[in-house]
Amino acid sequence: MNILGQVGIVFGICLLGELISAILPFTFPASIIGMLLLLLLLGTRTLKIEHIGAKADFLLQNMTFFFIPAGVGILEHVQLLRGRWWQLLVICFVTTILVFVASAGTVSAVLAFQRAKRRNRGSGGEEATP
Amino acid sequence: MNGALSQVFESPFFGIALSICCYSIGVWLNRRTKSPLANPLLVAVLLIISILTVLDIPLSSYSQGGVMISMFLGPATAVLALAIYRQRKLLKNHCIAILCGTFAGSAVSLASVWVLAKAFGMDDATIASLLPKSVTTPIAIEISGQLGGQASLTVVAVVITGIFGNIMAPSLIKLMRISDPIAVGVGIGTCSHAVGTSKAIELGEVEGAMSGIALSMSGIITVVLAMVFF
Repeated sequence: MNILGQVGIVFGICLLGELISAILPFTFPASIIGMLLLLLLLGTRTLKIEHIGAKADFLLQNMTFFFIPAGVGILEHVQLLRGRWWQLLVICFVTTILVFVASAGTVSAVLAFQRAKRRNRGSGGEEATP
Repeated sequence: MNGALSQVFESPFFGIALSICCYSIGVWLNRRTKSPLANPLLVAVLLIISILTVLDIPLSSYSQGGVMISMFLGPATAVLALAIYRQRKLLKNHCIAILCGTFAGSAVSLASVWVLAKAFGMDDATIASLLPKSVTTPIAIEISGQLGGQASLTVVAVVITGIFGNIMAPSLIKLMRISDPIAVGVGIGTCSHAVGTSKAIELGEVEGAMSGIALSMSGIITVVLAMVFF
């Protein structure tokens, strides 16, 4: 599909996400609703990869760039950090490492446990996915 | 500042052009030095902040273009669905491990922020603002608000956490010797939401997809945990 059509589909889904987010009785990010909608459309084959592929790859490959204004926006809140900026940096630094270690470590451990269990059961089990 | 120049700075093209320039410099520096500290996002943000400060350009002028760039964050998060869809088999086979990982990460996030903030003698409103700092901005603001926190401080903590995750992810993977792309992706998405996810996408397709799943699940889990424990 041409790029204008792809942009239309992706932005249309985002708009639908905004609508659902506005209706929901609790706060849930429109972007994640958009993601779930898109997943649903792909899963039910209503939408095919080629309908959004080029646009999606453009967005995914440049995702880091889109965060620049959010980072620059910290400038607006500098006075909030006065007197406690280093504590904030330490908290963000330390906890980010801890969370990564905890979650990645847990996934590794569970995967290893599952593989060991499968091996113990003998050759019956399927091989671990590549 | 003379009139014509300030009119130029007010144009959305200024913010967009400045962002692209500074980001390109960051990407170039990153390629040249191969240092994790030469992180394109960090370099671009610091460069832009310096330029705005030195030339005394108001943030609102930059934001004319900035909001247009930020607008793409929604669609970029939504199309993570495609990355996830491409890995659907892997997701189905390893859903228990992924769920355990995001749950552990979210719990450790809340607990460690609380302990450290208490240790620094921070007041309750500040602690409430920092607690949800590992999840994506809209969810974080909501949790912070419900706990009596300050939305703008939450945004700052969320963004700094994201940038830290984006910078540190490659080093942490090496240090921890985590080779499984599923573990890597879940770790990045849980600790540093969408900003980290953008780094995970650069690392690989599986990493990006898993990070996308982890960022949505950790958001939901953190809401529930925060409401139960705080």
